Amino acid sequence: MAAEKAEMDALKKECDALRTQIEAARKAANDGSMSAAAGGVASVGRVQLKLRKNLKGHLAKIYAMHWSADSRSMVSASQDGKLLVWDTFTGNKLVAVPLKSAWVMSVDFAPSGNLVASGGLDNICTVYNIKAASPKTLRELDAHTGYLSCCRFLSDSEILTASGDTTCCLWDLETGKQKIIFTNHIGDCMSLALSPDMNYFISGACDSLAKLWDVREGACKQTFSGHTSDINAIAFFPSGNAVITGSDDCSCKMYDLRADQEVLDYTDSSLNAGVTSLALSNSGRLIFAGYDDFNCHIWDSLKGEKVGVLSGHDNRVSCTGVPEDGMGVCTGSWDSFLKLWN
Amino acid sequence: MDEMDLPQMKKEVESLKYQLAFKREKSSKTVTDLVKWIEDGVPEDPFLNPELMKNNPWVEKGKCVIL
Repeated sequence: MAAEKAEMDALKKECDALRTQIEAARKAANDGSMSAAAGGVASVGRVQLKLRKNLKGHLAKIYAMHWSADSRSMVSASQDGKLLVWDTFTGNKLVAVPLKSAWVMSVDFAPSGNLVASGGLDNICTVYNIKAASPKTLRELDAHTGYLSCCRFLSDSEILTASGDTTCCLWDLETGKQKIIFTNHIGDCMSLALSPDMNYFISGACDSLAKLWDVREGACKQTFSGHTSDINAIAFFPSGNAVITGSDDCSCKMYDLRADQEVLDYTDSSLNAGVTSLALSNSGRLIFAGYDDFNCHIWDSLKGEKVGVLSGHDNRVSCTGVPEDGMGVCTGSWDSFLKLWN
Repeated sequence: MDEMDLPQMKKEVESLKYQLAFKREKSSKTVTDLVKWIEDGVPEDPFLNPELMKNNPWVEKGKCVIL
Protein backbone atom coordinates (compact mmCIF):
# COMPACT_ATOMS: atom_id res chain seq x y z
CA MET A 1 0.00 0.00 0.00
CA ALA A 2 2.68 2.43 1.03
CA ALA A 3 4.74 1.55 -2.06
CA GLU A 4 1.76 2.19 -4.31
CA LYS A 5 1.05 5.52 -2.63
CA ALA A 6 4.69 6.49 -3.03
CA GLU A 7 4.55 5.61 -6.72
CA MET A 8 1.32 7.62 -7.17
CA ASP A 9 2.89 10.62 -5.47
CA ALA A 10 5.93 10.37 -7.71
CA LEU A 11 3.75 10.18 -10.80
CA LYS A 12 1.65 13.14 -9.66
CA LYS A 13 4.84 15.14 -9.19
CA GLU A 14 5.96 14.14 -12.66
CA CYS A 15 2.62 15.25 -14.12
CA ASP A 16 2.83 18.60 -12.39
CA ALA A 17 6.38 19.08 -13.62
CA LEU A 18 5.38 18.22 -17.20
CA ARG A 19 2.44 20.62 -17.07
CA THR A 20 4.74 23.39 -15.85
CA GLN A 21 7.11 22.66 -18.73
CA ILE A 22 4.23 22.81 -21.22
CA GLU A 23 3.16 26.20 -19.84
CA ALA A 24 6.72 27.44 -20.10
CA ALA A 25 6.96 26.26 -23.71
CA ARG A 26 3.71 28.08 -24.48
CA LYS A 27 4.96 31.28 -22.87
CA ALA A 28 8.12 31.05 -24.93
CA ALA A 29 6.04 30.75 -28.11
CA ASN A 30 3.83 33.69 -27.13
CA ASP A 31 5.60 36.62 -28.75
CA GLY A 32 2.67 38.26 -30.50
CA SER A 33 -0.95 38.86 -29.51
CA MET A 34 -4.14 38.77 -31.56
CA SER A 35 -5.01 42.32 -30.55
CA ALA A 36 -1.71 43.46 -32.02
CA ALA A 37 -2.10 41.44 -35.22
CA ALA A 38 -5.73 42.46 -35.72
CA GLY A 39 -5.18 46.08 -34.72
CA GLY A 40 -5.12 47.33 -38.31
CA VAL A 41 -8.04 45.24 -39.51
CA ALA A 42 -11.17 47.16 -40.53
CA SER A 43 -14.23 46.69 -38.35
CA VAL A 44 -17.13 44.68 -39.79
CA GLY A 45 -19.63 47.18 -38.40
CA ARG A 46 -23.00 46.06 -37.15
CA VAL A 47 -24.16 42.71 -38.59
CA GLN A 48 -27.93 42.80 -38.95
CA LEU A 49 -29.57 39.68 -40.26
CA LYS A 50 -33.21 39.14 -41.12
CA LEU A 51 -35.32 36.20 -40.06
CA ARG A 52 -36.11 34.48 -43.36
CA LYS A 53 -37.92 31.35 -42.24
CA ASN A 54 -39.42 29.96 -39.06
CA LEU A 55 -39.62 26.18 -39.34
CA LYS A 56 -42.44 24.66 -37.33
CA GLY A 57 -42.88 20.94 -36.95
CA HIS A 58 -41.25 19.66 -33.82
CA LEU A 59 -43.43 19.24 -30.74
CA ALA A 60 -40.76 19.51 -28.07
CA LYS A 61 -37.29 20.96 -27.41
CA ILE A 62 -34.89 20.85 -30.31
CA TYR A 63 -31.49 19.63 -29.18
CA ALA A 64 -29.45 19.46 -32.36
CA MET A 65 -29.35 20.25 -36.06
CA HIS A 66 -26.93 19.72 -38.92
CA TRP A 67 -26.74 20.94 -42.50
CA SER A 68 -26.41 18.60 -45.44
CA ALA A 69 -23.38 19.16 -47.68
CA ASP A 70 -25.77 20.45 -50.38
CA SER A 71 -26.48 23.55 -48.24
CA ARG A 72 -30.18 23.03 -48.88
CA SER A 73 -31.33 20.13 -46.69
CA MET A 74 -30.93 20.12 -42.99
CA VAL A 75 -31.72 17.58 -40.25
CA SER A 76 -33.01 18.49 -36.79
CA ALA A 77 -33.50 16.38 -33.67
CA SER A 78 -36.05 16.92 -30.95
CA GLN A 79 -36.97 15.22 -27.74
CA ASP A 80 -40.40 14.71 -29.29
CA GLY A 81 -38.66 11.58 -30.53
CA LYS A 82 -38.19 12.55 -34.16
CA LEU A 83 -35.54 13.57 -36.61
CA LEU A 84 -36.86 15.84 -39.34
CA VAL A 85 -35.10 16.43 -42.64
CA TRP A 86 -36.07 19.81 -44.10
CA ASP A 87 -35.80 21.44 -47.51
CA THR A 88 -34.82 24.89 -46.31
CA PHE A 89 -35.55 26.54 -49.66
CA THR A 90 -39.27 25.66 -49.48
CA GLY A 91 -39.58 25.05 -45.75
CA ASN A 92 -41.02 21.60 -46.46
CA LYS A 93 -40.32 18.51 -44.40
CA LEU A 94 -38.77 15.80 -46.57
CA VAL A 95 -38.31 12.91 -44.16
CA ALA A 96 -39.40 12.10 -40.61
CA VAL A 97 -37.38 9.51 -38.72
CA PRO A 98 -39.04 8.12 -35.60
CA LEU A 99 -36.49 7.44 -32.85
CA LYS A 100 -36.43 4.39 -30.56
CA SER A 101 -35.33 6.70 -27.77
CA ALA A 102 -36.74 10.22 -27.57
CA TRP A 103 -33.82 11.50 -25.45
CA VAL A 104 -31.74 12.63 -28.37
CA MET A 105 -28.77 14.99 -27.92
CA SER A 106 -27.00 14.98 -31.25
CA VAL A 107 -27.63 14.57 -34.95
CA ASP A 108 -25.43 14.57 -38.05
CA PHE A 109 -25.82 14.38 -41.83
CA ALA A 110 -23.32 12.25 -43.77
CA PRO A 111 -21.42 14.19 -46.47
CA SER A 112 -23.05 11.94 -49.10
CA GLY A 113 -26.53 12.94 -47.94
CA ASN A 114 -27.54 9.27 -47.76
CA LEU A 115 -27.27 8.79 -44.02
CA VAL A 116 -28.13 10.60 -40.80
CA ALA A 117 -27.01 9.63 -37.31
CA SER A 118 -28.37 10.47 -33.88
CA GLY A 119 -27.94 9.50 -30.26
CA GLY A 120 -28.46 10.64 -26.71
CA LEU A 121 -29.30 9.23 -23.31
CA ASP A 122 -29.66 5.76 -24.82
CA ASN A 123 -25.79 5.73 -25.11
CA ILE A 124 -26.22 4.50 -28.67
CA CYS A 125 -25.38 6.16 -31.99
CA THR A 126 -27.99 5.02 -34.51
CA VAL A 127 -27.33 5.46 -38.21
CA TYR A 128 -30.28 5.68 -40.62
CA ASN A 129 -30.48 5.42 -44.38
CA ILE A 130 -32.85 8.24 -45.38
CA LYS A 131 -32.69 7.54 -49.11
CA ALA A 132 -34.59 4.27 -48.71
CA ALA A 133 -38.38 4.31 -49.37
CA SER A 134 -38.87 4.78 -45.65
CA PRO A 135 -36.03 5.55 -43.20
CA LYS A 136 -34.18 2.35 -42.38
CA THR A 137 -31.92 1.76 -39.39
CA LEU A 138 -28.52 0.84 -40.80
CA ARG A 139 -26.48 0.41 -37.62
CA GLU A 140 -26.82 0.73 -33.88
CA LEU A 141 -23.39 1.61 -32.46
CA ASP A 142 -23.64 0.40 -28.91
CA ALA A 143 -20.51 0.40 -26.75
CA HIS A 144 -20.38 3.72 -24.94
CA THR A 145 -21.17 3.52 -21.23
CA GLY A 146 -22.44 7.06 -21.09
CA TYR A 147 -24.76 9.33 -23.10
CA LEU A 148 -23.97 10.18 -26.68
CA SER A 149 -23.36 13.93 -26.79
CA CYS A 150 -22.09 14.32 -30.35
CA CYS A 151 -21.65 12.33 -33.56
CA ARG A 152 -19.85 13.33 -36.77
CA PHE A 153 -19.61 11.35 -40.03
CA LEU A 154 -16.28 11.19 -41.83
CA SER A 155 -17.95 9.32 -44.70
CA ASP A 156 -20.65 6.69 -45.21
CA SER A 157 -18.27 4.16 -43.65
CA GLU A 158 -16.83 5.96 -40.62
CA ILE A 159 -18.25 8.04 -37.79
CA LEU A 160 -16.82 9.73 -34.68
CA THR A 161 -18.75 9.90 -31.44
CA ALA A 162 -18.28 11.79 -28.17
CA SER A 163 -19.77 10.48 -24.94
CA GLY A 164 -20.60 11.22 -21.33
CA ASP A 165 -18.37 8.22 -20.50
CA THR A 166 -15.44 10.67 -21.15
CA THR A 167 -14.28 8.95 -24.33
CA CYS A 168 -14.59 9.62 -28.03
CA CYS A 169 -14.69 6.79 -30.52
CA LEU A 170 -14.07 6.13 -34.21
CA TRP A 171 -16.46 3.49 -35.59
CA ASP A 172 -16.42 1.38 -38.71
CA LEU A 173 -19.93 1.51 -40.15
CA GLU A 174 -19.41 -1.58 -42.33
CA THR A 175 -18.86 -3.77 -39.25
CA GLY A 176 -20.53 -1.64 -36.60
CA LYS A 177 -17.42 -2.03 -34.44
CA GLN A 178 -15.18 0.45 -32.64
CA LYS A 179 -11.90 1.14 -34.48
CA ILE A 180 -10.22 3.51 -32.04
CA ILE A 181 -11.17 4.71 -28.57
CA PHE A 182 -9.83 8.13 -27.58
CA THR A 183 -9.25 8.35 -23.82
CA ASN A 184 -7.74 11.29 -22.01
CA HIS A 185 -10.58 13.55 -20.83
CA ILE A 186 -11.55 13.31 -17.17
CA GLY A 187 -15.03 14.70 -17.64
CA ASP A 188 -18.03 13.99 -19.90
CA CYS A 189 -17.22 14.76 -23.55
CA MET A 190 -19.81 17.24 -24.77
CA SER A 191 -18.83 18.13 -28.32
CA LEU A 192 -16.51 17.32 -31.16
CA ALA A 193 -15.50 18.86 -34.47
CA LEU A 194 -13.60 17.46 -37.45
CA SER A 195 -10.78 19.43 -39.06
CA PRO A 196 -11.46 20.60 -42.63
CA ASP A 197 -8.96 18.03 -43.95
CA MET A 198 -10.55 15.33 -41.72
CA ASN A 199 -7.17 14.23 -40.33
CA TYR A 200 -7.80 15.66 -36.87
CA PHE A 201 -10.68 16.24 -34.53
CA ILE A 202 -11.11 18.34 -31.43
CA SER A 203 -13.23 17.46 -28.40
CA GLY A 204 -14.64 19.65 -25.62
CA ALA A 205 -15.57 18.24 -22.25
CA CYS A 206 -16.90 18.90 -18.75
CA ASP A 207 -13.31 18.94 -17.49
CA SER A 208 -13.12 22.44 -19.12
CA LEU A 209 -10.52 21.18 -21.59
CA ALA A 210 -10.42 20.96 -25.36
CA LYS A 211 -8.24 18.19 -26.81
CA LEU A 212 -6.86 17.72 -30.30
CA TRP A 213 -6.58 14.16 -31.63
CA ASP A 214 -5.21 12.53 -34.76
CA VAL A 215 -8.15 10.60 -36.23
CA ARG A 216 -5.92 7.64 -37.16
CA GLU A 217 -3.98 7.39 -33.86
CA GLY A 218 -5.50 7.19 -30.42
CA ALA A 219 -3.26 9.72 -28.70
CA CYS A 220 -4.18 13.21 -27.56
CA LYS A 221 -1.80 15.60 -29.34
CA GLN A 222 -2.63 18.87 -27.63
CA THR A 223 -4.72 20.03 -24.67
CA PHE A 224 -6.20 23.51 -24.36
CA SER A 225 -7.22 24.92 -21.01
CA GLY A 226 -8.59 28.27 -19.85
CA HIS A 227 -12.30 27.67 -19.57
CA THR A 228 -13.67 27.36 -16.06
CA SER A 229 -16.65 25.18 -16.86
CA ASP A 230 -18.03 22.62 -19.33
CA ILE A 231 -17.16 23.17 -22.97
CA ASN A 232 -20.49 22.60 -24.76
CA ALA A 233 -19.57 23.67 -28.25
CA ILE A 234 -16.50 23.46 -30.41
CA ALA A 235 -15.65 24.25 -34.02
CA PHE A 236 -12.60 24.25 -36.25
CA PHE A 237 -11.64 27.44 -37.96
CA PRO A 238 -12.05 27.00 -41.74
CA SER A 239 -8.24 27.26 -42.12
CA GLY A 240 -7.79 24.26 -39.83
CA ASN A 241 -5.25 26.13 -37.69
CA ALA A 242 -7.48 27.39 -34.92
CA VAL A 243 -10.40 26.22 -32.84
CA ILE A 244 -13.28 28.07 -31.23
CA THR A 245 -14.89 26.79 -28.04
CA GLY A 246 -18.08 27.81 -26.21
CA SER A 247 -18.60 27.11 -22.53
CA ASP A 248 -20.97 27.16 -19.57
CA ASP A 249 -18.61 29.81 -18.17
CA CYS A 250 -20.39 32.22 -20.59
CA SER A 251 -17.36 32.75 -22.80
CA CYS A 252 -16.01 31.58 -26.13
CA LYS A 253 -12.31 31.22 -26.78
CA MET A 254 -10.06 30.95 -29.81
CA TYR A 255 -7.13 28.57 -29.50
CA ASP A 256 -4.27 28.72 -32.00
CA LEU A 257 -3.21 25.14 -32.80
CA ARG A 258 0.24 26.02 -34.16
CA ALA A 259 1.23 28.12 -31.14
CA ASP A 260 -0.60 25.68 -28.86
CA GLN A 261 -2.47 28.32 -26.81
CA GLU A 262 -5.44 30.60 -26.31
CA VAL A 263 -5.20 33.75 -28.39
CA LEU A 264 -8.56 35.43 -27.87
CA ASP A 265 -11.41 35.38 -25.43
CA TYR A 266 -14.99 36.41 -26.24
CA THR A 267 -16.69 37.68 -23.11
CA ASP A 268 -19.11 40.46 -22.36
CA SER A 269 -20.06 41.54 -18.84
CA SER A 270 -23.70 41.78 -19.91
CA LEU A 271 -23.68 38.15 -21.05
CA ASN A 272 -24.30 35.89 -18.09
CA ALA A 273 -25.61 32.86 -19.93
CA GLY A 274 -23.78 29.71 -20.93
CA VAL A 275 -22.82 29.08 -24.55
CA THR A 276 -24.64 26.07 -25.97
CA SER A 277 -23.57 25.99 -29.59
CA LEU A 278 -21.51 27.79 -32.19
CA ALA A 279 -20.91 28.08 -35.91
CA LEU A 280 -18.54 30.14 -38.05
CA SER A 281 -19.09 32.10 -41.23
CA ASN A 282 -17.08 30.86 -44.22
CA SER A 283 -14.15 33.24 -43.76
CA GLY A 284 -14.12 32.59 -40.03
CA ARG A 285 -14.61 36.29 -39.37
CA LEU A 286 -18.01 35.87 -37.70
CA ILE A 287 -18.86 33.54 -34.84
CA PHE A 288 -22.52 32.71 -34.31
CA ALA A 289 -22.86 31.59 -30.70
CA GLY A 290 -26.09 30.29 -29.20
CA TYR A 291 -26.66 31.08 -25.54
CA ASP A 292 -28.98 30.08 -22.70
CA ASP A 293 -30.33 33.67 -22.79
CA PHE A 294 -32.52 32.70 -25.80
CA ASN A 295 -30.29 34.62 -28.24
CA CYS A 296 -27.62 33.87 -30.76
CA HIS A 297 -24.91 36.50 -30.43
CA ILE A 298 -22.59 37.34 -33.31
CA TRP A 299 -18.91 37.98 -32.56
CA ASP A 300 -16.15 39.48 -34.71
CA SER A 301 -13.59 36.70 -34.35
CA LEU A 302 -10.59 39.00 -34.87
CA LYS A 303 -11.59 41.96 -32.74
CA GLY A 304 -13.29 40.00 -29.98
CA GLU A 305 -16.33 42.30 -30.11
CA LYS A 306 -20.03 41.54 -30.26
CA VAL A 307 -21.34 42.78 -33.60
CA GLY A 308 -24.89 41.56 -33.71
CA VAL A 309 -27.61 39.42 -32.19
CA LEU A 310 -30.30 37.09 -33.50
CA SER A 311 -33.33 37.45 -31.24
CA GLY A 312 -36.64 35.75 -31.62
CA HIS A 313 -36.51 32.42 -29.85
CA ASP A 314 -38.62 31.97 -26.73
CA ASN A 315 -36.24 29.59 -25.06
CA ARG A 316 -32.59 28.54 -25.00
CA VAL A 317 -30.82 28.39 -28.39
CA SER A 318 -29.53 24.82 -28.35
CA CYS A 319 -27.96 24.49 -31.78
CA THR A 320 -26.51 26.68 -34.52
CA GLY A 321 -25.26 25.84 -37.99
CA VAL A 322 -23.92 27.55 -41.10
CA PRO A 323 -24.21 25.56 -44.37
CA GLU A 324 -21.17 24.89 -46.56
CA ASP A 325 -22.06 27.67 -49.01
CA GLY A 326 -22.06 30.11 -46.09
CA MET A 327 -25.30 31.74 -47.24
CA GLY A 328 -26.95 31.97 -43.85
CA VAL A 329 -27.27 30.57 -40.36
CA CYS A 330 -29.81 28.29 -38.73
CA THR A 331 -30.66 28.43 -35.03
CA GLY A 332 -32.60 25.71 -33.23
CA SER A 333 -34.18 26.14 -29.84
CA TRP A 334 -35.88 24.55 -26.88
CA ASP A 335 -38.91 26.55 -28.07
CA SER A 336 -39.26 23.80 -30.75
CA PHE A 337 -38.57 26.08 -33.72
CA LEU A 338 -35.73 26.39 -36.19
CA LYS A 339 -35.04 29.82 -37.61
CA LEU A 340 -33.09 30.69 -40.74
CA TRP A 341 -31.34 34.04 -40.89
CA ASN A 342 -29.24 35.92 -43.41
CA MET B 1 -14.48 13.34 -12.03
CA ASP B 2 -12.84 10.40 -10.29
CA GLU B 3 -9.33 10.22 -8.95
CA MET B 4 -7.03 8.32 -11.30
CA ASP B 5 -5.65 4.91 -10.42
CA LEU B 6 -2.04 3.84 -10.98
CA PRO B 7 -2.33 2.66 -14.61
CA GLN B 8 -4.28 5.82 -15.53
CA MET B 9 -1.67 8.01 -13.87
CA LYS B 10 1.10 6.29 -15.85
CA LYS B 11 -0.87 6.90 -19.05
CA GLU B 12 -1.32 10.55 -18.07
CA VAL B 13 2.46 10.94 -17.67
CA GLU B 14 3.05 9.39 -21.11
CA SER B 15 0.39 11.62 -22.63
CA LEU B 16 1.88 14.77 -21.11
CA LYS B 17 5.36 13.82 -22.35
CA TYR B 18 3.92 13.39 -25.84
CA GLN B 19 2.07 16.71 -25.65
CA LEU B 20 5.16 18.50 -24.35
CA ALA B 21 7.10 17.34 -27.42
CA PHE B 22 4.78 19.27 -29.77
CA LYS B 23 6.68 21.73 -31.97
CA ARG B 24 5.13 25.07 -31.06
CA GLU B 25 5.45 27.94 -33.54
CA LYS B 26 5.77 31.55 -32.51
CA SER B 27 2.41 33.26 -32.10
CA SER B 28 3.70 36.39 -33.86
CA LYS B 29 3.75 34.29 -37.02
CA THR B 30 0.75 32.03 -36.42
CA VAL B 31 -1.62 34.79 -35.37
CA THR B 32 -0.54 36.99 -38.27
CA ASP B 33 -1.19 34.08 -40.64
CA LEU B 34 -4.62 33.57 -39.10
CA VAL B 35 -5.55 37.23 -39.52
CA LYS B 36 -4.38 37.19 -43.15
CA TRP B 37 -6.31 33.99 -43.88
CA ILE B 38 -9.52 35.50 -42.56
CA GLU B 39 -9.04 38.84 -44.29
CA ASP B 40 -8.40 37.04 -47.58
CA GLY B 41 -11.65 35.13 -47.13
CA VAL B 42 -13.89 38.10 -46.25
CA PRO B 43 -14.69 39.05 -49.89
CA GLU B 44 -16.02 35.49 -50.42
CA ASP B 45 -18.02 35.48 -47.20
CA PRO B 46 -21.74 35.97 -48.00
CA PHE B 47 -22.35 37.53 -44.58
CA LEU B 48 -19.78 40.23 -45.26
CA ASN B 49 -20.12 40.78 -49.00
CA PRO B 50 -23.68 41.84 -49.91
CA GLU B 51 -22.96 41.14 -53.61
CA LEU B 52 -22.88 37.43 -52.83
CA MET B 53 -26.25 37.56 -51.10
CA LYS B 54 -28.01 38.92 -54.22
CA ASN B 55 -29.43 35.46 -55.01
CA ASN B 56 -30.72 34.72 -51.56
CA PRO B 57 -31.92 31.08 -51.46
CA TRP B 58 -34.25 31.78 -48.53
CA VAL B 59 -36.16 34.65 -50.08
CA GLU B 60 -38.95 34.06 -52.58
CA LYS B 61 -38.10 35.61 -55.91
CA GLY B 62 -41.53 36.09 -57.43
CA LYS B 63 -44.85 36.63 -55.71
CA CYS B 64 -45.88 33.00 -56.19
CA VAL B 65 -44.04 29.87 -55.14
CA ILE B 66 -44.47 26.69 -57.18
CA LEU B 67 -45.01 23.86 -54.69
